[in-house]
Amino acid sequence: MSEEGCSASRRSFLKALPLVTAGAAIPSLGAQAPDARHQWAMLVDIRQCIGCQACTVSCFMENAVPEDNYRTIVSTYAVEQVRDGKKEIGTFMLPRLCNHCSNPPCVPVCPVGATFKQPDGEVVVNAERCVGCAYCVQACPYDARFINHETGKADKCTFCTHRLEAGLLPACVETCVGGARIFGDLNDPDSEINRLMALHKDELKVLKPEAGTHPNVFYIGLEDEFAGKVEGQGSLWRPSAHGG
Amino acid sequence: METQIVEVINMPREVAWLPWAVQYFFLIGLSIGAFLVSLPGLAFGRANWRQASRIALLAALVCGLTAPVALLSDLHQPGRFYHFYLYMNTTSWMAWGSFFIPVYLGGLLLYGWLALRPDLQRLADRGGRWAPLYQRLAYGGLASTGAIRAAAALTALGAALVGLYTGMEVMVVAARPLWNTPLVPVQLIVTAVAGAIGLVMVLERVMGLTRVEDTCRLNRALAATQLVALVVGAIWLALGVFGLSANHARALAEVSGSPAWRLTAVWAAGATLLTLVLALMRPRQGLLTGLLAMHSAWMMRWTLFIGGQEIPKTGAGFYQYHLPLGQDGWLGLIGTAGLWIFVFIVLTSLLPWGDTRDGQTT
Amino acid sequence: MENVRRKIIAAGGLTAFAAGFSQTAYRMWEKVVGKDAPPTRFYGYAPTPEYTVDERSGKLALNPDQQVSYTGCLGCTTQCGVRVRIDKTTGKVLRVTGNPYNPLSANPELPQNVSVKESFVALSRFGDKGLDGRATACGRGNAVISQIDSPFRVLTPMKRVGPRNSGKWAPISFEQLVQEVVEGGDLFGEGHVDGLRALRALDTPIDPAAPELGPRANQVALMTSVNDGRDSIARRFIQQAYGSINFVRHGSYCGGAWRSGSGAVFGDLKKMPHGRPDLENVEFAIFIGTAPGNAGNPFKRTGALLAKERALGKLEYVVVDPLLTNADNRAARDRGRWVPIRPGTDGALMMGMMRWMMENGRVNTAYLANPNLKVAEAAGEPSFSNASWLIVNQPGHPRLGRFVRGSDLGMEIAPDARYKDADPYFVMGPDGAPLQADLADAAAPLELTDASITLDGQPVAVQTAYMQLKANAMRLELAQYAADCGVPEETITGLADKFTSHGRRAAITGHGGMMSGSGFYNAFGVVVLNLLIGNVNWKGGLAVNGGTFRHDGEGPRYNLASFEGQIKPKGMPLGRNVPYEKTSEFAAKKAAGKPFPAKAPWFPNAPGLTTQWLTGTFEGYPYPLKALIMWSVNPMYGIPGLRSQLGEDFADSKKLPLIISVDPLINESNAYADYIVPDSLLYESWGWTSPWNGVPTKMSTARWPVIEPRMDKTADGQRIGVEVFLIAVSKALGLPGFGANAIADAAGGMHPLESAEDWFLRGGANIAFAGKAPVPDATDEDIEASGVSRIRERLEKTLSPEEWRKVAFLYTRGGRYQPYGQAQDPEHPEWMTWRFKNALHLYNDHVGGARNSLTGKRFNGSPTWQEPAFADGSSMRSHYPEKDWPMLAISFKSPLQNSYSIATRLRNIHPENPVIVNTADAREMGLENGQEAWLQTPGGKHKCTVLVSPGVMPGVIAVEHGYGHRELGARAHHIGEQQQPHKPQLAAGININDLGLADPTYPGRSVWVDTVSGASVRNGLPARLTAI
Ligand SMILES: Nc1nc2c(c(=O)[nH]1)N[C@H]1C(S)=C(S)[C@@H](COP(=O)(O)OP(=O)(O)OC[C@H]3O[C@@H](n4cnc5c(=O)[nH]c(N)nc54)[C@H](O)[C@@H]3O)O[C@H]1N2
Ligand SMILES: Nc1nc2c(c(=O)[nH]1)N[C@H]1C(S)=C(S)[C@@H](COP(=O)(O)OP(=O)(O)OC[C@H]3O[C@@H](n4cnc5c(=O)[nH]c(N)nc54)[C@H](O)[C@@H]3O)O[C@H]1N2
Ligand code: SF4
Ligand code: SF4
Ligand code: SF4
Ligand code: SF4
Ligand code: SF4
Ligand SMILES: [Mo]
Repeated sequence: MSEEGCSASRRSFLKALPLVTAGAAIPSLGAQAPDARHQWAMLVDIRQCIGCQACTVSCFMENAVPEDNYRTIVSTYAVEQVRDGKKEIGTFMLPRLCNHCSNPPCVPVCPVGATFKQPDGEVVVNAERCVGCAYCVQACPYDARFINHETGKADKCTFCTHRLEAGLLPACVETCVGGARIFGDLNDPDSEINRLMALHKDELKVLKPEAGTHPNVFYIGLEDEFAGKVEGQGSLWRPSAHGG
Repeated sequence: METQIVEVINMPREVAWLPWAVQYFFLIGLSIGAFLVSLPGLAFGRANWRQASRIALLAALVCGLTAPVALLSDLHQPGRFYHFYLYMNTTSWMAWGSFFIPVYLGGLLLYGWLALRPDLQRLADRGGRWAPLYQRLAYGGLASTGAIRAAAALTALGAALVGLYTGMEVMVVAARPLWNTPLVPVQLIVTAVAGAIGLVMVLERVMGLTRVEDTCRLNRALAATQLVALVVGAIWLALGVFGLSANHARALAEVSGSPAWRLTAVWAAGATLLTLVLALMRPRQGLLTGLLAMHSAWMMRWTLFIGGQEIPKTGAGFYQYHLPLGQDGWLGLIGTAGLWIFVFIVLTSLLPWGDTRDGQTT
Repeated sequence: MENVRRKIIAAGGLTAFAAGFSQTAYRMWEKVVGKDAPPTRFYGYAPTPEYTVDERSGKLALNPDQQVSYTGCLGCTTQCGVRVRIDKTTGKVLRVTGNPYNPLSANPELPQNVSVKESFVALSRFGDKGLDGRATACGRGNAVISQIDSPFRVLTPMKRVGPRNSGKWAPISFEQLVQEVVEGGDLFGEGHVDGLRALRALDTPIDPAAPELGPRANQVALMTSVNDGRDSIARRFIQQAYGSINFVRHGSYCGGAWRSGSGAVFGDLKKMPHGRPDLENVEFAIFIGTAPGNAGNPFKRTGALLAKERALGKLEYVVVDPLLTNADNRAARDRGRWVPIRPGTDGALMMGMMRWMMENGRVNTAYLANPNLKVAEAAGEPSFSNASWLIVNQPGHPRLGRFVRGSDLGMEIAPDARYKDADPYFVMGPDGAPLQADLADAAAPLELTDASITLDGQPVAVQTAYMQLKANAMRLELAQYAADCGVPEETITGLADKFTSHGRRAAITGHGGMMSGSGFYNAFGVVVLNLLIGNVNWKGGLAVNGGTFRHDGEGPRYNLASFEGQIKPKGMPLGRNVPYEKTSEFAAKKAAGKPFPAKAPWFPNAPGLTTQWLTGTFEGYPYPLKALIMWSVNPMYGIPGLRSQLGEDFADSKKLPLIISVDPLINESNAYADYIVPDSLLYESWGWTSPWNGVPTKMSTARWPVIEPRMDKTADGQRIGVEVFLIAVSKALGLPGFGANAIADAAGGMHPLESAEDWFLRGGANIAFAGKAPVPDATDEDIEASGVSRIRERLEKTLSPEEWRKVAFLYTRGGRYQPYGQAQDPEHPEWMTWRFKNALHLYNDHVGGARNSLTGKRFNGSPTWQEPAFADGSSMRSHYPEKDWPMLAISFKSPLQNSYSIATRLRNIHPENPVIVNTADAREMGLENGQEAWLQTPGGKHKCTVLVSPGVMPGVIAVEHGYGHRELGARAHHIGEQQQPHKPQLAAGININDLGLADPTYPGRSVWVDTVSGASVRNGLPARLTAI
């Protein structure tokens, strides 16, 4: 099958590149802005995800995300792997959202400085200034941004800043059925997220560590095959012309 | 460890730089290329280039005037274009671009005016309903080589900056390996010049101004560009295949497995080669070769921008883009073409573009 | 000329430009008029939060513009407790999450004495409380809120215009609708139609020659889906008041086979109790034919506990399923594994495991040998089984396959008490004589050699229940079992070994995957496997539901169970779920010397069977219906094969003269209705729901209209809905049990049943006062904070002063809940508090004593492996051989959709359902991922898209359920002058039920069902897939 041919030939190119293997994914931990009150971060314990997409839909509802778009999604894969001569087949689920990078490539490209990182760590878009040029959309290595056709502006996960400011949790975290999404303040030494990150120090990973973006979304149980662009057969999703 | 991965659930991202952007990059590239072709005849006084250079100036103007409109349309908040000037973010190549474009276009208009001043005067002298207007536009009708050269220099600076920014804007996008290679700016320029030469040849034919010497000369230049394009392409491939450059390898890895992309690559290489062969073997005919060169320039941009956005940054496989019928698709493409034709007709109706020294007043 | 041409071209160019650029121009214009200004700088259109909690002090400040209320979800049959957030000014539901008091949504849940305001703080960021205190709604639960304002809703009563299923309706008044359905007449210009009044003949038999069928009132029937907390009022109407025996729910096409298999073990084949692993404490669980976290019931609680326990607790589990689903998670590594199995062959795996356990001393025989609860408890066991009970095993004996009972041994038992509870069972006594099982005071032998007892002076061979099971298990070699189910021998033994290595902290459970042609016995085997390790009622074992606080019984405040003048319906139900031997047909055929076959199969060991209703009515067997009320049910979509079998019958008003539907939507079934009465959607309904299973503590969820219902009002100002409709019809007919003085309170006072509130608020009082002590009063603060102020007036008006605040308390908390810590018995911390205390059946003699009504052959009373078969017992493959139908198609629940959520945002995430085939099969069939193909079964063919994946058993085609709709928005209906929006994309994909099979072994209309349980077969359909 052509798709297999695809991944086979891809691998051979990539062999030449120590750079691309994401294995050595040691995220930079914690407290990037000691002067800020908060340093928001999310920890996703993939083992606890059941792929129910409650997060995805709650985000649609909370943030009026237009049809056929998303701020977060849980990519779901069927994986067959031969390990030590034994065939293992399983499901891999990967909640994706904006990483609120500490070194966000989406920010410097914005021609009008509409997108920036807040002191508490959220990377946001100033909708009063954005011209909808989509340059940031191109620059984000995670496909975390999109142009919102209803507002004509760049859109993305805000970590539900409006809820954080109200002392609440982000919508997707509140309703995470498996309890996979853990959210909190890296600046607070007693926070649950700090406790769990310390506990799982050795297993913590981030997506595309080689991109140098320093994400603030961390994962437990992230497999290397999924840390970057996934090599495999793509989903059969068909859009309905937007808004349809 | 063999792994087979099947993506069961994922949502694609839409293409965010629309066909409008392809049109912009195509038109601005042609404009710059055509401006370069206009130089030998108009700025450097090379008589045998004169006719071709005049047509090239026409091409540069038509494309140059159309391009910003396409660019504006690619913004989802076009009414806020002035934010570029109010809130410039210096780390953004696009921000710089918003300043470079006026420099280039301003220069081009000035340069064009200076070059055409004698013709305007001639038109004024001919009398008629529009004579006063031509008189005013001619503003004395002097043919000043010095002024032309100064304006050309300014325009060249603008062109270089626009060329630089368009190339860099794409190249710095590390998130898209296909864009993030240092060869992209070179490829954009080379294909732009080739496309512009092609356009000049086509226009000469359309306007009935074809001259065999011109065509031969232009074909020679075109052949050179195709040669460069092929060499650059080969370097690109080599860097990727042998893993010499991580970016190229990654870019190659992303597309090499796809039959569609393989077809595109073969197509592009084939078209370039064919253009080269035609330019060399049949130097006297320009229409087909010209169209081919333009087609390569357009296709390169389409593949780079639209095709590049069809490659997921994280997900598996490819996103599928189907050119929609509306403004963000076909209608947009047709719209820019329509504007181009309109501007072309206006300019060709108002001004003579043949080599006026021969007494022709087409 | 040239000039003109130029001008034309220029104009053309300009036009093209204008068209292309118009959008840009429009956007620029929007800028000019300020339309581009965002409502907020950073947050887009996100509404302001429902309240704020100070992150330092935890101080709560409510948002006066919003209401937050606790009620129930109906995004699927799990019916979780949810927290609904509403914009008070627009009445729009903004978002939904979970109710933190409700164990279906939170774990651990908040104690109900925590105030409403405190519950809000517990969900917040304050002190990271909201992380552990998380109360969730799933993806579907989050999405279904959009149904409320869906353009596809039915809000006004309507009557069809033109032929049935033509999609054209006339809105009519509620009063006109009631008048027409009650009185009948020439309603559609197609001739006279009998109304409900004329049809209510309680004394005229349907067929004088077959009096057992009962009165003609039985020809009016009511069909519904799941008990959404309201169906007692519908049952009261159709059975107790109208007098028809025909009331049915969807069980037979939900998980009927599982429930029947379980019912056989729990000794009740009508109510069919069942159990689920105690997920919080189980160490090893096998899910076979149920996909925890992907579907499963309770969907969300199971998913949440599975996720938590596999990551942070001790749980290891295996999912035995032809398909890889979201029940698996690679990141959890070896904690969860997928074992693929050939569809419909679970019995082989079960019997293989049993055989290995029996041969390797891994059966807990000590547990099984306890003949009654007393002996069991004395031995530290919280349950007991009938493994040691004696069965008549004498060929030719009239009691063959039946348990030896007191009456058999000549005990004095009144004739009508024979073979009922008072007629005791026996074990083999130490002296070789039968010993009354309930009187035994020690373990009884499980295996006997050449045992016989004396009945009527004759020696009669007997065996124990365990012996029958063992004989069944030993019938085939392990290798044969492995070959039949496609699970390797070492996996079978590995599973059996592991299953028996965790003491009582292991359990196995199933559900929808049992809906195959061998479903009953497969499920029976699954449940019995639990008995072999004696895990029932153990902490970490197989637990039964904690149960519910009943609202509709003869409660502490009101009697909602019975009323004066109530009717006890008589006759045979339409589903033929009674013994064939009781029919006149049998008697006549027997007299003629050939009692078998019956015209169509009978299911004496099954509950009500929707699967038989519609084919049965059009076959006139046992009798035809004259009027059908469908309430929120969709058999045409949900029952495999039904649509093609009924063909145009359903559309033919001559065959079924009156179809009334009560439903908020137009689905594939009620599109055929003559009348549709609008009904309330989830947050608009009243009701008291209980968990389906899997909650070890006692609880009830309160449903109440937290928003103003959108349905039209009746002339007297009530929102139209099922209750109002049934009350109005009852009053028009003058039925007892409705209207004034219909409900008696505990003191003998009488109260009306004139509105939904009359019923549900009084039901609430029964719940509030249930048990040792009633719940506390709701405070004014609770009432305000929870939006219960919306219904305060109504509460005060309907209930007594001492009642109303207690019922309000239930609404403020969204239900009543036994405290979290009480799942285990305080005196026996290893036992569950709520135990199943009757005998657990290794052998069920209702099954073992029954005969197949087509062949007269006896059924086996214990689990056994048999191939998927049709009604006469002939194997499916003998009709549809592999060479013609090389594949087996199965169906599985979409992890996202249910059967009516298509028109929601879930479609955005997964717009259609490509059918899944294995990589190797696809290669062989020359199919590529994404290609279009024909999926064909003997029941029909349908176009589909192919998804090639390693995650499916070779030889299997898996079809996600919830797509391939024809209604619910897929077709635009005309209501009066209005046309609904046309959204053809809602029809995307395929519904495998359109390809379901008929049963070729008897004539007439039929759908393929399991022979014992009558449950529809949606798994293991013979199929083929061909490229288009
Ligand atoms: N997401 C979601 N959850 C739901 C619902 C929903 O619509 N969507 N509906 C709710 C309802 S009404 C119910 S009843 C429950 C049902 O919950 P489940 O019983 O868990 O769901 P099903 O998908 O019916 O069946 C479970 C699995 O059986 C597998 N299967 C098919 N054939 C066989 C077989 O022959 N043998 C074995 N071992 N497995 C087989 C299917 O692949 C499927 O994964 O889910 C409830 N929860
Ligand atoms: N092939 C295949 N077939 C299946 C299944 C499968 O997995 N695969 N699953 C089976 C199972 S488990 C089940 S339970 C059945 C389900 O099938 P059914 O019990 O027949 O019904 P549903 O389609 O769940 O819902 C019935 C109707 O209720 C109405 N409704 C929706 N929301 C509300 C509400 O809030 N209030 C009211 N009053 N009405 C509402 C809608 O019109 C909907 O069509 O299907 C079964 N059929
Ligand atoms: S994930 Fe993308 S959008 Fe988010 S901060 Fe990083 S680069 Fe920017
Ligand atoms: S789309 Fe908006 S935020 Fe993104 S780069 Fe352009 S102006 Fe900046
Ligand atoms: S934090 Fe908020 S915006 Fe971000 S993914 Fe979650 S719900 Fe969406
Ligand atoms: S809500 Fe939680 S469990 Fe469900 S898909 Fe999202 S991250 Fe996974
Ligand atoms: S599991 Fe079912 S009832 Fe519970 S929230 Fe999800 S859809 Fe609603
Ligand atoms: Mo179900």
